[in-house]
Amino acid sequence: MHKTNKAARTVNWPITILLIIGCVTIFFPLYMAVIIAFKQPSEMTNDIAGALALPASWSLSNFAEAMRVTDFWHSLGNSLLLTVTTVVLSIVIHGLGGYAIGRSMKGSKFYNFAYLYIVSGMFVPFAILMMPLVKQTAQMGIANRVGVILCYTVFFMPLNLMLYRGYLTNIPLALEEAARVDGATTWKTYWSIVFPIMKPMHATVAVLTAMSTWNDVMTPLVIMSGTGQNTLPLAQLNFQTQFGTNYNLAFASYLLALIPILLFYIVCQKQILNGVVNGAVK
Amino acid sequence: MEEKFNATHDDIELKIDSPNDAMTILKTRFIREDYPEIIGIGGDINYSNFLDSDMLMDISDYQGLSEIKESYLRTDKELEFIPYDGVYAVPYMANAAGVLYNKDIFDEHGWTIPTTLDEFYKLCDDIQTAGIQPLYFGFKDTWTCLAPWNAICVDLAPSDICSQVNAGTAKFADAYRPVAEVTKSLLRYAQADPYAYSYNDACTAFARGESAMYVIGSYAVPQIKSVNPDINIDSFVFPASNNADENLLNSGNDLQWSVMAGMEDKKDAIYEVLDFLYEDENIQTYLDDQSAVPCKKGDFELPSMLDGMKEYIENDKMADYQDHHYPSEMAVDAMIQTFLMDDSENALDTFLEKFDTEWIRYNRDLITKVQKFYEEHPEKLTEGGEE
Amino acid sequence: MKLSKGAQDRKRTFMLITIPVLALFFCFNTLPLIKGFMYSFTNFKGYGSYEWVGLRNYIDLFSDARVGKSYWFTFKYALVSTIITNVISLVLALGLNSKIKCKSALRGIYFIPNVLGGLVIGYIFSFIFTYVLPVIGQTLGIGALSSSMLSSTGKAWIAIVIVGCWQAIAMNTIIYISGLQTVPEDVYEAGAIDGVSGWKQFKELTFPLIIPFFSINMVLCMKNFLMVFDQIMALTKGGPSQSTESISYLIYNNGMSGGQFGFQSANAFVFFVVIVIISVVQTTITNRKEEQL
Repeated sequence: MHKTNKAARTVNWPITILLIIGCVTIFFPLYMAVIIAFKQPSEMTNDIAGALALPASWSLSNFAEAMRVTDFWHSLGNSLLLTVTTVVLSIVIHGLGGYAIGRSMKGSKFYNFAYLYIVSGMFVPFAILMMPLVKQTAQMGIANRVGVILCYTVFFMPLNLMLYRGYLTNIPLALEEAARVDGATTWKTYWSIVFPIMKPMHATVAVLTAMSTWNDVMTPLVIMSGTGQNTLPLAQLNFQTQFGTNYNLAFASYLLALIPILLFYIVCQKQILNGVVNGAVK
Repeated sequence: MEEKFNATHDDIELKIDSPNDAMTILKTRFIREDYPEIIGIGGDINYSNFLDSDMLMDISDYQGLSEIKESYLRTDKELEFIPYDGVYAVPYMANAAGVLYNKDIFDEHGWTIPTTLDEFYKLCDDIQTAGIQPLYFGFKDTWTCLAPWNAICVDLAPSDICSQVNAGTAKFADAYRPVAEVTKSLLRYAQADPYAYSYNDACTAFARGESAMYVIGSYAVPQIKSVNPDINIDSFVFPASNNADENLLNSGNDLQWSVMAGMEDKKDAIYEVLDFLYEDENIQTYLDDQSAVPCKKGDFELPSMLDGMKEYIENDKMADYQDHHYPSEMAVDAMIQTFLMDDSENALDTFLEKFDTEWIRYNRDLITKVQKFYEEHPEKLTEGGEE
Repeated sequence: MKLSKGAQDRKRTFMLITIPVLALFFCFNTLPLIKGFMYSFTNFKGYGSYEWVGLRNYIDLFSDARVGKSYWFTFKYALVSTIITNVISLVLALGLNSKIKCKSALRGIYFIPNVLGGLVIGYIFSFIFTYVLPVIGQTLGIGALSSSMLSSTGKAWIAIVIVGCWQAIAMNTIIYISGLQTVPEDVYEAGAIDGVSGWKQFKELTFPLIIPFFSINMVLCMKNFLMVFDQIMALTKGGPSQSTESISYLIYNNGMSGGQFGFQSANAFVFFVVIVIISVVQTTITNRKEEQL
């Protein structure tokens, strides 16, 4: 399709500039985080000039030390394993669930109930679930990474279900019906037609799920403590005790942990963009 | 430690876990019924609760107990909600709280260590006159409000006040009135708006010489030294009383060992591990690493910033942190912060009254239990009173 | 009425998908919730032995001033933050979705706040509120800013709103952006032909189409802000003077770290019921709007 609309093609400079100015609200805190990550504890002060000053040297020693303390590659591996598995399971299970429930809700009391039942689970405070879950996972013999992944799959189900269902309301039934007329089973139709259409939503779900999993401390802390496996946020607890926090190492470690998830987001957001506009709903 | 032990003891395999957020992890292990043999915890309300839940084993036949300083064993006794027969914890390391001071600033002006409250006020006035900030507080972190509070409590309030209240024989309103007054009087010498600054800010400020003194515990020293490794710190006992002999060092068990109930079969092995931990050499290793006070009798090399407290440590003139008796959910630290921020005339009465009512609300089951116990055993009550 | 073969297959497949999903959810959400609910009738500390205390925890709950205060704080915080976050992130999403330069980079940057952990947020924003803003306030002569917001019982909650929104906007923007992607280009083109643009285009064309995402964001925001915990831990730990204790903070702090597990389970359960009611009301309202359009 050729765009003839002139306004749609030219760059909207005022908005670009406003958005760039808005970045200050993010860059200022980020700048502080970066310089703290490079400083030595003895460079920390309580006055503004000192806090905003550049570090005495741009040595990577804090990063190296942070990697050593957190056993970086091993913890990173665990974090990646948990995050990737959770994301894949979420896309598969929640996508299917969202489709099945979302498409059946019209006029069905059962599916309406199922939807509300799961979505209301979003509001259960984690603190009330924590202890029973610790006990339950131990009894089931999954007080390890498997248990954590299963818990995540359930924790993120309400939100993801909502997202998939919301997305599907804007997708007309026509395509599925056409496939059905052609004799394809529902299962096949889902994978060959619906699943690809939901690509932007998969990307959104992936980003949101990955982000929550990546940063989560409590679930792995209570469920898999004692298995000798650490995730990055768990290992980062090493930097803080009640009586002292090594902010320099901690910040270096946080910045290191930020990079993979940021890359992941940048990849995913391309998918979010390449969505419906380019094909499906026309 | 783990390697060293396993290298010398073939028949016992020692596995030491020292996780972050240890208390949460310990509690989750209890839920899983995956009990460790020995637990190393602080001598605080958690210990009281574990003991009260019959989770710990009586280890009064452990030989090493005779080597432990009396006051630390007494501290543990006082943590028992109702008097138990037997011993349930062996104190290992303690920390001490009082006033840390910048030795260089003091030497330069020729200031001396105060031994009474009036001398302390005088010192603060002198420091202020010299244009230096006497005290710096990090009251944004509410728990730091407990540092001066505890240090003053040991001098001015009975050490078993909480047990007395639980037994119904005393009220906080009377016991804590002078404590609260002295705590609030310190604000005169603090920086403006101390509630804006965190513990970390206060450590940094003290490390950079922005204040001459800092009312906190020995545990803050590593954080301070990380900012300024060359700082010359010494300490003294907070002199809250005008009778110098009444002043005590505020010191409590930071780390103590307890054996979980039901481990009678493994007793010999467990005692062997304890023996190992209490070897002088291993204690000294810990001390050098952590700047703590050993609970074992003997001649250990103490960290230098505890010089000013040495006399009290050696003469066993110590008392525990009162907050070790407070249930954490009652948030006494926040109540103290509220009281310090309250400028109204009846702030003190409001605070004391609230302390008593809140105490009853948060300890309801415990008080019932304790009073029932004393009804059944009136002799124990008088016994406790005499001690 | 007899269903066609295709429709039957559809029905069966949906059921076969739904049942295991429900079972999984029941197992790891409802089951522990029921157990937690049972603890709310005990004086369980989180370990050791406990006794049944009947409805005492619930009765206490309604007479506990601290719990009452935490509800007031939490709802005030959630309401204000939800409005601010939704307005800003909708504007941001429209901006990031328009024809701009450096789209990827800008989207990446606006996403960062959501990934920064509690310790970073706590340290940096505490620093800004304690040291930077007062200096700005004093220089400009703004009395309200001249002392730390975090040490004032009246203003600390605003500081938490600022940080909460700062973090939440990223996530809401992502959802709005993906919502804007479902709006087909030809809608705008058709609108442009009719001469509809600017605010009118948004109000009459774009917004109605992204209402499902608007309602997701409203519910999500309400939920996240009502459960505010991280920002409190990072910035104030409930202070000053217990003025910023949120419900989740109380539940976690007194239930898990403290010995009030039973009582806080009751609190958590009541809180759960309250949020469910709110979100049902919220969803019904937005659904009705959705149907009207």
